[in-house]
Parts: sequence; C-alpha cells; structure tokens
Amino acid sequence: MESINWRALAPIGVFFLLCIVIAIFSPNFLSVSNAVRILNASAIPVVLVMGATFVILMGSIDLSVEGIVALCAVVTASLVLNDTFSANLGFWAIPFAVLAGGIIGAANGATHVFLKVPSFMVTLGIGFVCLGIATAALGGFPVRISDRGFRALTLGRTLGLPNGIWLAAAAVFVAYVIQERTRLGRYVYAIGTDEITARQSGVPVERTRILVFVLAGFFSGLAGVMAAAQLGQGHALIASGRLFTTITAVVVGGTALSGGVGSVLNSVVGVLIVIVLTNGMVLMGVPPFVQQGVQGFLIIVAVTLALDRRQLLVVK
Amino acid sequence: MGKLAHDSVLLAAAAALSSGIYTASFADDMTLAISMRSLSNPYHATFARGGEEFAKSVGLPFEVLVTEGNSEKGLADIRALIARTGGNVCINVDPNDSPDAATIVEEAEGAGAYVVTQWNKPDDLHPWDHNPNYVAHMSFSGVGTSKEITNALIDAMGGEGGIVAIGGILSNVPAIERKLGMEQAVADTDGKVQILDFQPADWNETKAFEIMQAWLTRYGDEIKGVWAANDSMGIGALEALRQEGKAGSVPVTGIDGTEAALSAIEAGEMAGTVAWDPMWTGGMGLSLCHAAATGAIDVAAEPHEHREFYGTGIVVTPANIADFRTRDASFDYNDYWAKSTGQIQYQ
Repeated sequence: MESINWRALAPIGVFFLLCIVIAIFSPNFLSVSNAVRILNASAIPVVLVMGATFVILMGSIDLSVEGIVALCAVVTASLVLNDTFSANLGFWAIPFAVLAGGIIGAANGATHVFLKVPSFMVTLGIGFVCLGIATAALGGFPVRISDRGFRALTLGRTLGLPNGIWLAAAAVFVAYVIQERTRLGRYVYAIGTDEITARQSGVPVERTRILVFVLAGFFSGLAGVMAAAQLGQGHALIASGRLFTTITAVVVGGTALSGGVGSVLNSVVGVLIVIVLTNGMVLMGVPPFVQQGVQGFLIIVAVTLALDRRQLLVVK
Repeated sequence: MGKLAHDSVLLAAAAALSSGIYTASFADDMTLAISMRSLSNPYHATFARGGEEFAKSVGLPFEVLVTEGNSEKGLADIRALIARTGGNVCINVDPNDSPDAATIVEEAEGAGAYVVTQWNKPDDLHPWDHNPNYVAHMSFSGVGTSKEITNALIDAMGGEGGIVAIGGILSNVPAIERKLGMEQAVADTDGKVQILDFQPADWNETKAFEIMQAWLTRYGDEIKGVWAANDSMGIGALEALRQEGKAGSVPVTGIDGTEAALSAIEAGEMAGTVAWDPMWTGGMGLSLCHAAATGAIDVAAEPHEHREFYGTGIVVTPANIADFRTRDASFDYNDYWAKSTGQIQYQ
C-alpha cells in the first residue's frame, strides 16, 4: 500500500506553520471562539471536497459543484416552509435535495462514461444546466426560508459546536470509510493510478466512474442543504466561488490532479489551510489588494511541498 | 449519407435564417429590447420585467438579451438584434462594462437604432454628442445615496463607535462610489465614528460571511456597526452575526433594496438599505427610447439634465419601511423625468 513519507505530512506541516505565523501577528487567532468560527466556515467546503477528492483521485474533475450546490439549495429552500412555494416538509426536504444531487451526479457520470466525453466538459456543461434551471425556476429571485427549526441545522449547537461542523464530521467519516473499507474506494485508487491495468485486473471501470460521480453529487447536494440553512435562502448564485475553494483545497491537501495519489483526510487539511488563510489575512490586516497575491503564492508553495514531484511521471 | 444529412441541416438552417430576416425587416413593428448581465439576480430580473410591462403597454414585441458577464457576447447579441431588425429597434441597455457603451452607441448610430444606457458608460461619452440615436443615460448617485445610508447606520449606532465595511469588486464603478460616500459620511462625524477595517467581498454573500467571522475575532465587541456595499453581502454579514447570537444587536446596512434586506429591516435585524427602482429604470428607459424613436420628443432640443440623469434611490430604514411597503410605486410612462433627481455629476 502507500508508503508513509514526510511529504504525506507536509500539508499538516504547512497548516501548523500558517497557524503559528498568524498567531504571532494576531494572538486572537488562537482563541476557542475563532477556532469554532474557522471550523464553521470550513463545514460546507469540507463536505464538498469529500466528493471532489474521489473524483480527482480517479483522475477526473468535477466542475459542476457550484451548479449542483445552487440547485440543491433551491430545492431545499423550496421544500421547507418558505416565502415562495407552499411546502413545509421540514427536515424531510434533506433527502430530496441530497437525492437531487445524486441524480445530477449520475447524469455527470453516465454522460462521461457512455458518451466518452471528458469529465471536464461534461461537468462544466451540467453545472451550467443546473444554474440555468435554478435561475429559470425562480426568475432570478431567491426563495427565503421561514422555517426557524430547519435553520437550526447550521445555526443550532450540539456540545458547544455548531451543527454544521458535526454534519461535516459525519461526511468525513462516511467518505473515509468508503475510501478505506470498501471495494469502491480501492477501485478509485486503481483507476486513478493506471486505468488500463485496473481494467485488465477486472475492475469495473465504467460502473465505478458513474458511482463516484453519484457520490460526489450526494455530497454536493448535502452542501446545498447546508448552504440554504446557513444563509436562510436558496438562489442561483448561492454557491458562487465554491468551485475554486473546492479544487484548491483538494490540491493543496496533497491529492494529485493526475489521480491515484491522495486521501479524503488530506483534503480536510487542505480546506483548513484555505480557510485559515482567508481568516488570517483579515486578522493580520493584510491590505485587500495584496491578499489575492499572497493567497496565490502560498497555494503554490503548499502544493509544491505536498506532492513528491519526482514521483510524478506526467504533469498536465 | 452523413454528408447529405449535414448539408440538408445547413440548408434548413440557412432557410430559417433568411426567412427570419425577411419577416423582421419588412415588419412595421418596432422591437423593444433590454440588455443586461443576467436574469439570476433580483435587480436585473425586475429590470427586465419593467421593460416587459412597458412593451405590453404599447403592444410591441419585446426581447431580453443577457450578457452573462461577457462583454463580447453582449455586443454580439446587440449587433445581431440591430441587424435582424434593420435598425428598427429601441434598446435599454445596462452595459457589462463602461467601454461597451461606446461601441453600442456607435452600432446604433450606424443603423438608426435608439439606445438608452444604464449605470455604466465612459465619463466622456454623452448622449448629446450622438443625437438622436443615443437618447439618454440613467444612473443613481452612488456617492450621495451611500452617504445617506451610512448616516442611517451611524444614527442606528447612536452616533459613535467603530464600523467594519464590506465593499464590492474593487474596480467596479458602483463599488468605488459607494465606498467614497461611506468614507465621506464617516469623515463628517469628526472622529466619533471610525472605520475599523474595509474588506472587499466581491458582492458575494459567502465571502462576506467569512470576512465578518474574522472581524468578530479581530474586533469583537468593538464593532458597533456593519456597512455593506450591497444587500447580499449585508445578509452574509448578518448571518455570520446570527451564528454568534448577535443578529439584531449590531446594526447592518446594505444597498439595493432586495426583499431579503427589507424583511431583515422589518425583523429589526438590519438598519437600512437603499431601494433602487428597477421597474422604473427598465420601463422608463424603454419609454424614453420609444418616445425618441417615434418622434414624441425631440431629444436634441432637450436640456442636458434630461439626457443624463439620476433616478431616485430611497433610503429605507425601520422608521419608514411601513410607508415604503405601502407606497404607490406606479408611474406614468409619459412623464419621463418625474423621478429624476438631477443631472449626473462626475467626480
């Protein structure tokens, strides 16, 4: 299996280094309340990277994240008590929204596999279709949630932590079990490492690919539910900016875009790095126009450290 | 076989295209059109509806063009529309970017089409230099209204304390103007109100949410007020406050007058917003354009304040929200400048 080398721990090292530097400039950074805020801001991105990591491990890419999240947030907001439609399913809206995410994921996977269209194009296209549906269904207006109980999904706290953090932790647990303890998880690594060999060894490549996109759809759907609960509404633009964070976090965490190398746990660290960076810049008072530059620079540094470049035969 | 199928598809497409041109160029009906960024935000969705209402009132065909944030697409669509209608068209356009306005005006002038622009145009491009095709430019005073809403925020804070400010995309004209207005209002307090920090969140509510969280760590209870350059970011900040049980205890203001912000004002969680009037900009922009095209007004004879003018931005606060909700928002399509609040000033 994977040999443990220091590079596998590099993302964690980068994370701690970042924390130390920020803490030196801003002691408030280390407060418990700030830690909770960072975890809370990480909740939705963590759920998103769970799906994205499997897709990227397989050597594919999922660019439909923003579309699926937005559409599922709209589905969620429309099914709970809201100001636009007469539905009141409460928490029963969740399975519908997550299922919607899974169905769109299946459309991604099936189009990719059966029509042999690169995942890049398929997911980009389907993502736009989702945004289009979300826009058309609402005519550009948001659906606002009036169900206070439903909003407890992210606003409420259990054992002192916002519920969104527990949901994200549950998502990580499920993803980790799939990665380590199921055949699907093993197949993903096999396909990502060398698809031809995997096929010759009897790995059902097509079925695995579709299943992974369905899985990613489920996670995006859950993220959509959480986004709706967090902001109290669903609209077509609710997920804008999420795709960049997702892909960046997966790569910064040390998962290779070429597939086969990485883990869902790495991606959790990746999300923490990206979120801590955003949080830290504001805490340290870095001028806005410098922030993007620093962010870009640090991301490249993190990616360089996280992967053993010499082991990569191909860089695309 | 494949070749044959391909050819017949091309043929059919060409036939469809040419018949389209034929009917359009010989039709008497003038086409009315609206061009803007996207239908996925409430402001532009209402803007388009305003245009549609006017088109219905005069019984003319109506089209909506969407740029999707892409200037090239926006220009290409407008060119195609002008060509298809042989110039017999009135376009009320919110250009994707300021320089686009110059190209659009040039295209319209060449074909005899009529144009009204909204919000974005270069400072040195004026309707009176392009009579009669460039009918008017409509906008809202970013600095003035921002100053008013900031004063409302300062009032809600009791006149003193620190504020944090969330801006739009740094290079956008409205973002620059709104920031300037906010800074002027704060400067007028002679140091009683301080700007603790300013961060751009690119009009995005999730970004505003994360920045607000970081501010709560950095400044905590020093924050007495939150200023946001639009309602989406204001709502993002409000939700970050809610997460900490602080919704309603720290006043937040936005700009745009979205339904979410208006409800938050009613719930006592936001201290104010500025309501633009997209039904009016959408409808009146086309009405003015149509009046110029049909000869109901002679634009060349109109004074400059009728060619470049500000609309009315209404500052909505808890004090006047009830009145705002019940106000008579209807307007007379033939009373072109009733809602104008003066000629556009350049900073």
